[in-house]
Amino acid sequence: MRIVIAEDMVLLREGLAGLLEDAGHQVVARVGDAEMLLVAVAEHEPELAIVDVRMPPSFEDEGMVAAASIRAHHPDTAVLVLSQHIETRHAVQLVSGGGGFGYLLKDRVLDVDDFLDAATRVAGGGTALDPAVVATLIAPPVARDPLDELTPREREVLGLMAEGRTNAGIAQRLWLTEKTVETHVRAILRKLGLPTTTEDHRRVLAVLAFLHVQGLVPPAPQG
Amino acid sequence: MVGEQCAVAMGGRAGSHALSRRWPAPGAAVPAVESPTRERKRVAAPHPDGISVLALWSRATRHGTMRRMDRIRPSGPWLISALTPLILLSAILVELSQRREGDDALPTAVSLTVAAAITVPAIVGLVILRSRPGNRVGGIMLLGPLPIVALFAAETYAQVGLSSGDTLPGQPLAAAIDSALWPGFYIWPLAIALLFPDGRFPSQRWRIPGTIALAAPILLMPLMLFGSEKSQQNLGGADNPLYLSGFRHLEPVFWVVWGCMLAGLFVAAVAVVVRFRRSVGAERLQLKWLAWSAALIPLGLLLCVASYVVVGEVTDVVPIFLLTAGVAVSVSVGIAITRHGLYEIDRIVNRTLVYVCLSVLLAAGFGAIVLGAGVALGRGSVVGTALATLAVAVTFRPLRDRVQRIVDRRFARARYDGLRRMRMFEDALRRGEEEPERVEQVLVEALADPTLALWLRLPHSDARVGVDGRVIDVEREGSRTLTRVVRHGEELGIVAHDPALRERPDLLRSVVEAASLPIEVARLRAEVRMQLIQVEESRERLVQAGDEERRRLERDLHDGAQQRLVGLGIALRRMQRSLPREARVLGPPLDDAVAEVACAIADLRTIAAGLRPPRLDDGLAAALGDLARSAPIHVSVHVDAQDLPAPIEVAAYFTICEALTNAVKHASASSVAVAAVRRDDLLLVSVRDDGVGGAVPRRGSGLSGIADRIGAHGGQLRIESPAGAGTLLEADLPCAS
Repeated sequence: MRIVIAEDMVLLREGLAGLLEDAGHQVVARVGDAEMLLVAVAEHEPELAIVDVRMPPSFEDEGMVAAASIRAHHPDTAVLVLSQHIETRHAVQLVSGGGGFGYLLKDRVLDVDDFLDAATRVAGGGTALDPAVVATLIAPPVARDPLDELTPREREVLGLMAEGRTNAGIAQRLWLTEKTVETHVRAILRKLGLPTTTEDHRRVLAVLAFLHVQGLVPPAPQG
Repeated sequence: MVGEQCAVAMGGRAGSHALSRRWPAPGAAVPAVESPTRERKRVAAPHPDGISVLALWSRATRHGTMRRMDRIRPSGPWLISALTPLILLSAILVELSQRREGDDALPTAVSLTVAAAITVPAIVGLVILRSRPGNRVGGIMLLGPLPIVALFAAETYAQVGLSSGDTLPGQPLAAAIDSALWPGFYIWPLAIALLFPDGRFPSQRWRIPGTIALAAPILLMPLMLFGSEKSQQNLGGADNPLYLSGFRHLEPVFWVVWGCMLAGLFVAAVAVVVRFRRSVGAERLQLKWLAWSAALIPLGLLLCVASYVVVGEVTDVVPIFLLTAGVAVSVSVGIAITRHGLYEIDRIVNRTLVYVCLSVLLAAGFGAIVLGAGVALGRGSVVGTALATLAVAVTFRPLRDRVQRIVDRRFARARYDGLRRMRMFEDALRRGEEEPERVEQVLVEALADPTLALWLRLPHSDARVGVDGRVIDVEREGSRTLTRVVRHGEELGIVAHDPALRERPDLLRSVVEAASLPIEVARLRAEVRMQLIQVEESRERLVQAGDEERRRLERDLHDGAQQRLVGLGIALRRMQRSLPREARVLGPPLDDAVAEVACAIADLRTIAAGLRPPRLDDGLAAALGDLARSAPIHVSVHVDAQDLPAPIEVAAYFTICEALTNAVKHASASSVAVAAVRRDDLLLVSVRDDGVGGAVPRRGSGLSGIADRIGAHGGQLRIESPAGAGTLLEADLPCAS
């Protein structure tokens, strides 16, 4: 897999590149800011761009803006955004925009296998949403709402669904059989009143749309 | 006239005074804060019309400056005016030299008054010609006395010739001239009555009767000079050397012109009345000046009658009084036309009335007491006089105030009402029923000027503020007239009012002076309020700086230490994954090390979130949701507030944080209800717990920190915490966005 990395902190950037190369991927460009990132993506047309949210010059959300631009102009390049802290606004906006996108906290990289798995999934057109972000979305509700009806196990499954995992991935993660997971998923979708679908990404969107209706996350941008 | 200024120095009982003047046109740099004396010394500021504003101002104050002299070019009037004192001087010299020889001559006091009655109009005429070159009144005043001078000289010469016995050369001619010139007396009073104050007839239809009225006395003089066979009896009745026999046929003409002159006197009187009736503003004041001085003439006639009744003959006092009235008319005309002190007329009339009444009353009282004491104690008792003097001394002040009030009520209603309104306000203020800031509104009512504004000058600063504390930029406040309010030599503020009020300086001065105490109080209160605002602003800045610092620290933690730890963790992982098969034993300790690093990262994230929760970026609802979820007790959250300004969100968030902490740590609550609801421009925050209650905000405690934070945003904090019945914390945060 051909990858471009945009990260202003050299230690982190080189570490990431090393990890990915160790895993057999090809890091075609390593840049330190959003502008260079767009240049590198246009030049190399990589399968995946790993992007830090805060980058020079203002350290606000340059990475997010660049990610949106890449999604718009280079649909073949998937984007995995790395963030220092949890916030849902950007993550949900971009994930709602389509597959081939991921949003993870930086320290998630330390679980190397999970990280590489997420990177591969995103590059393959899938979705990866950080468990902590998902947790804030579906954590025990503040007021009475339909999520109350979910059992703790179903809630776990819903979280993994929202992260973009397949039934098989969920089964592996929770030490369940795929059949049991399927049962849980059906129960969840029924309880939340969501259409049943087998396609993984559409499933994520449905869950997010539901959470949005609940007012827990801001509305996704049109298109 | 651009930038014309009128200065009125206000000298009051309490040593207070105010300076009233119209503000100059924009661009003219005249400072507002100068005292009149200092201002005069200032370097003159340039003015668009080339003459400095201050020069104009001082021109209005002092007559006959060099600058004005430069403007005068030698001309007809100029030469005649130089001639006038010469004629006059010779006339006086002749008269004085003759006085030692005959008894028939005029007494010195009278002749000096005659001299004044001739010179003063001429001087006034000159002054008017200089300051208002286009106004015909100047020429009339200057040339008007000329026939009188000529008559005076001719009469003196004729009488000297008569009394010396041997006929002087030309004595009959002088006698003839003297006999024929008397209509000249009427010319300038008629002209003033018809043409004052603007040098034009009252209207177009007055042109013909006015011209006839003026022409009649002029025409009469040659008719008499050449038409009389003999001069007057008291001048010897000699043959007129200028007599032309052809003039005999003109006798009907003479009588017609004579009639015209008599009618002209009536026409002139009507003209003044008509003009006064339809005059407004400054012109009315000008006419009031004329009326005031002209009223002295009938007074003189009354005096004449009284003198005749009491003494049996007309004493010298009467001509002196009448001539002085003539001088007064001239001066009044001068004041009215040059407009220097024009606006004082109301006060002068007012005070004249007050002191005439006061004199009559006191004299009557004095007489009555002396008379009464004389009857009771016998004639010539000094006790009566002493008593009367005492009574006059004691009653003078209260009687004067009383008379002043009566005169005000009858003749100066506005001043009377204005002062009464101000006095009532001051009484209400003392009783605590009014706020001193209302003094501006009371001034508006007392002076009947809805545009009036009061600007307070704060002590220890040059800033001007309104009674509401708003800072005023005096330079940008348009063309209103500014009157300074001064008390004990210190400027309290400025009253900005309609320029028309300048025409009533007595009203303005009295009311403003009466308002000086409330103004002083309002000013001190404004200062306290201003300082409070400054303290509140600095508190807000402190809280904002604190929030800014938190944000910076949070950034530093996320972007600095946390990233380094991630980098370290990745390095460890790579090391672990590159270990050769035989070194796999190092795997578990490296796992532990990475786990440790991950814990450190999580800790840092928690610390950073405590400094400023990044979830606030997702809105107050999201941040409060997180807060509720991480709380060890049940917390319900209700948020209905969109688009809050970021500082308000932060303030609300930390307020709720602190209240939650208190509920958990001190109140042993089992559940808390949090609400943040926006109502227009107010965010209402409430936190209610079911704990033990009895919370008191102590100095340095979390609750007092909340109070500071809320106060910094101009909000209010209320805490209800009865013992055993839970705690309700409510905060209102203004959030105009």
